[in-house]
Amino acid sequence: MIKISLIILQLLFFIGVAPLLSGLITKLKNNLRMRRGMSILQPYYNLIKLFAKGQVVSGTTSWIFKITPVVVISSALAAALLVPVFIFSTPLHFTGDFLALIFIFSLGRFFLALAALDTGSAFGGMGSSREMFISSLVEPALCLTVFSIFLQFGSTDISVFKSSTPISVSSIIGAIALFLVAIAETSRIPVDNQETHLELTMIHEAMVLEYSGGALALIELAAHIKQMIWFLLIAQIIFPVQAVDLSSPGGLFFWTGWQIARVLLIAGAVSLVEVSVAKMRLFRAIDFLGFVFVLGIIASICAILRV
Amino acid sequence: MQFTILFAVLISTYLMVIAKRMPALIRAFRYQSFCLFLATFLMAIKQSEPDLYAVAALLFILKVIFIPQLLYRTVKKIKAKEDLGLFINPQLSLLWALGFTYLSWEFSTNFISQGNEVKAVMLTIAFFVVLAGIFLMVSRMTALAQIIGLLAMENGIFLLAAAVTGGMPFFVEIAIFFDVLVSVLIMGFFVYRINKFFTHIDVNKLSRLRG
Amino acid sequence: MESLNFTLLLDPLGLFFISVILLISLPSAVYSLGYLKGEYSSAKKALGWFLLVLFIASMTLVVSVSNALVFLIAWELMSLVSYFLVVFDTEHEKSIQAGTIYIVMTHLGSAFLMAALMIMYKYAHTFDFFAIKNACLLMPAQVKNIVFLLFLIGFGTKAGIVPLHVWLPYAHPQAPSHISSIMSGVMIKTAIYGLIRFVIFLLGVNSWWWGGLILVLALITCLVGVIYALMDRDLKRLLAYSSVENIGIILLGVGLSMLFIAKDMPYLAIFSLIAGLYHLVNHAIFKGLLFLCAGSVYKACGTRDIEKLGGLIKKMPQTAVYFLLGAMAISALPPLNGFVSEWLTLQAFFLGAFKLTGGLKLFLGICASLLALTGGLAAACFVKAFGIVFLALPRSNYASQAKEVSLSMRVGMFFLASLTVVFGLAATFIVGWLAKVAAAATGIDISRMSFALNNLTLSLKSVKNVYLSSPLLALILAGLGFTVFIVYRLLSKEKTLVDNTWDCGYYKIGPRNEYTSTAFSKPFRIAFSFFLLPYRKTQKIRESFYHVKSFAYETYTTPVFKKYIYKPLLTWVLGSARLMRRLQPGSIHLYLTYIFLALLLLIIFMPKF
Repeated sequence: MIKISLIILQLLFFIGVAPLLSGLITKLKNNLRMRRGMSILQPYYNLIKLFAKGQVVSGTTSWIFKITPVVVISSALAAALLVPVFIFSTPLHFTGDFLALIFIFSLGRFFLALAALDTGSAFGGMGSSREMFISSLVEPALCLTVFSIFLQFGSTDISVFKSSTPISVSSIIGAIALFLVAIAETSRIPVDNQETHLELTMIHEAMVLEYSGGALALIELAAHIKQMIWFLLIAQIIFPVQAVDLSSPGGLFFWTGWQIARVLLIAGAVSLVEVSVAKMRLFRAIDFLGFVFVLGIIASICAILRV
Repeated sequence: MQFTILFAVLISTYLMVIAKRMPALIRAFRYQSFCLFLATFLMAIKQSEPDLYAVAALLFILKVIFIPQLLYRTVKKIKAKEDLGLFINPQLSLLWALGFTYLSWEFSTNFISQGNEVKAVMLTIAFFVVLAGIFLMVSRMTALAQIIGLLAMENGIFLLAAAVTGGMPFFVEIAIFFDVLVSVLIMGFFVYRINKFFTHIDVNKLSRLRG
Repeated sequence: MESLNFTLLLDPLGLFFISVILLISLPSAVYSLGYLKGEYSSAKKALGWFLLVLFIASMTLVVSVSNALVFLIAWELMSLVSYFLVVFDTEHEKSIQAGTIYIVMTHLGSAFLMAALMIMYKYAHTFDFFAIKNACLLMPAQVKNIVFLLFLIGFGTKAGIVPLHVWLPYAHPQAPSHISSIMSGVMIKTAIYGLIRFVIFLLGVNSWWWGGLILVLALITCLVGVIYALMDRDLKRLLAYSSVENIGIILLGVGLSMLFIAKDMPYLAIFSLIAGLYHLVNHAIFKGLLFLCAGSVYKACGTRDIEKLGGLIKKMPQTAVYFLLGAMAISALPPLNGFVSEWLTLQAFFLGAFKLTGGLKLFLGICASLLALTGGLAAACFVKAFGIVFLALPRSNYASQAKEVSLSMRVGMFFLASLTVVFGLAATFIVGWLAKVAAAATGIDISRMSFALNNLTLSLKSVKNVYLSSPLLALILAGLGFTVFIVYRLLSKEKTLVDNTWDCGYYKIGPRNEYTSTAFSKPFRIAFSFFLLPYRKTQKIRESFYHVKSFAYETYTTPVFKKYIYKPLLTWVLGSARLMRRLQPGSIHLYLTYIFLALLLLIIFMPKF
């Protein structure tokens, strides 16, 4: 019973907090650009607005287009259940590990790419092609990064990623690689740009161009959740925590504070990168991800050498 | 006596090698076969074996009478030129043949220990006949000459068997005879067909069939 | 000569392969009832059935005999029957060409197998498997290496290891679809059986570079296969290339297992072999399914060109579902079967790297990451295949007049499609069975190993806790999906409007505006241009200098292996054959002279021998 309530709590946490993180990053970005920017709560307003609206669906589409938002959001939520948030272990950590998480993400992406093709417009195809291109190049870099982390902890179970030893070089490099992967996966600058709707540059946005109303809201929510998952993962790796006594209020308080602080740090880093770098053209992404791959190799070597 | 017959085989083989025209070749083949028949017949008398009598009789009927007659008839029927079409002229052929004789002698002395001259000579001549048969097949153009070359080879092998083991088992012998007979019949037929299609039996021109 | 011994060897390994063969062949046979209808005359159909039965029987024989010579005979029989099945559509010029390439390559492979078996025979003096197994213990290491390489080339040709894969993309698409399904699903797996049986079981792995070599070759095979699959626009050839890729993934498991055997790590050896075998049966299922679906598309539309298809999900809804399941499984999406086996393979790499030392750690890590790249590209490839063929609007009349296929075809596809789900969810049981198979193949005692079965969760006891529970994952996904759907329905009260796709103000949006398969694969073509060497031809037809009336644009990729390996090889072979032909002028006299000269030489040099 406790388990089920934990699961529900974790799901509600992700649904409730994930948009806030996006809003925060947008706000930070705007502030860094010396603008006032919109409210942190703007993603919530967007979602509510979209849910209240009706949908316009293209007559070209099939049932694939209709089920995709559901598949995308449920894969994102399923992935969210594999990430430790409240306590060190996730409620369903025996369901899958880091590798399973990657595969679950690819489930959502697969359907999103299909739905984009389903609309029959060139935008959809373009987005789907580019998204699959980027994601397939992300895979090796991501896998190597996971590998370097695995070598340290001896398991791909995410809840094991906590060490009593001081933070290692390979953790840092691995986390940087994972950070770059997360940038590519959450469609941020320099790989993609969430803010643009210019057909020449958009990737993720091109795929969801035909969506409207509640369906779009679900997809956006899924994107927020995915971003949150990535940040939590990076936080787990780069800032591993020594076991704290969770039964005492002090320990619990420390843990919560630390959890929030490290996610905020990563959000800050993301907005800094987004502000300071220009978007690359599509084929420069190969070089970018090649660089991540090399980082992964370095992290693995460091892990092998136990530094 | 045995030596005489063996040398007769040798001489008749030389005759085959230097023959320029078809009838002469067939005649020489007939002499060779006849000598073989004589040798077999003598051996049959000496050992008084009914099997050998039968073999001798078959040899006589097939190789001395029937096959040469058949070949004569084929030559007549197809009205081909009686020339054999020599790649190597008779004199040179004879020289080759002498060389083969020496080679066979060298070869057979490898097997036969010293002091057994009769056997050595027999083996030499047998080998020589085989070689001469192939030589005929190689150096004569017409298909009929090739048939006779093959027959000569068969004679050589017969001799070889006699020299090495004192004759093959009866049934093998009979089987080989029928084999030869059938092959001659078939080849004779083919020669006839070749002649009909190409109006000659020059095997050399078959190379045009190459793909 | 010893008498041929027809006893069967029905150990778990053989039985596993027999069950895989039957599992794929039977639905394909059912499918062929509908597929052959109306295509061929009744005599031809009878011939087709006869060949099909013979084909299945010969494959079963290959995996069940216990005598190397009988194995070879069955192997040849299988190759020949499959050749006749490849050229079954004799009226197509392409079938004949494909058949020729196939038969040449397959016999090349057989020659290597024969050589290897002869060497084994030299040591064992018999062809019986168990006698050979004993004799191989005494074989010198050098000879073992040679035998291994011979087997690798011999079986590699059948399996389609790059660069010996050239026949595969020709032969598999040309065969009738149910045959393609069996060939791709099962026949190429017999080569894996051969590798396991002859190299691991009989020969015994004695140096670790065997496994390393197989790993490297398998990785190249994976990547080349999937990149070519991504480029292709012929639906069945795309699937054939994808078979090349998957054979690579299977071989990764097998090669890893050999590496661990040589390094004396029994647990990991068993585990990686389980991963390989699991992917083997999975690939048999989903590739069989996909080929059947491709056959249905071909039957319904009359073309296999992806660019001419589209929108079939509305015309052939059931086939579309089956194809989608196959595509999801092959892209390793949870909770279907491909996901489990790819997860196992990746885990095998990771665990192996954890236990090994030094540079091998990094090697296995990089192998794993390249496997992940393969997975990503395969997903892209099948997004393309499903998206272009089944979604959006029909691109030509071929597709717009399609109709759902007959019941027997759907039954065959349904069976295999449901297996993709079953084999995904029942992972723990299957891993338990495969452990027995792997134990029989490697001769390792597994009674003290644990491939745990608690609560339908795979947990590996050799390291710290690593878990995977595909049924639970499926349950979570389904539960979440259902809940989201209900909540979404309750929340959104507004009506859904149906309208056209947004057309940017263009007045008439139609099939011509859709993304094509070639366009979809363009980024990949550019990213892998160092290997694909793409080039294009453009042609402008102008009415005047200022007005281009039409513009033709064609893009190609260079077939690297054909151009740089097989072409020069073929040229060389033909050149030397031409030289040899001078020996063969057609003159009987000359032939006789050859014989004569040989005889003379023998006589002259006789004393020397």
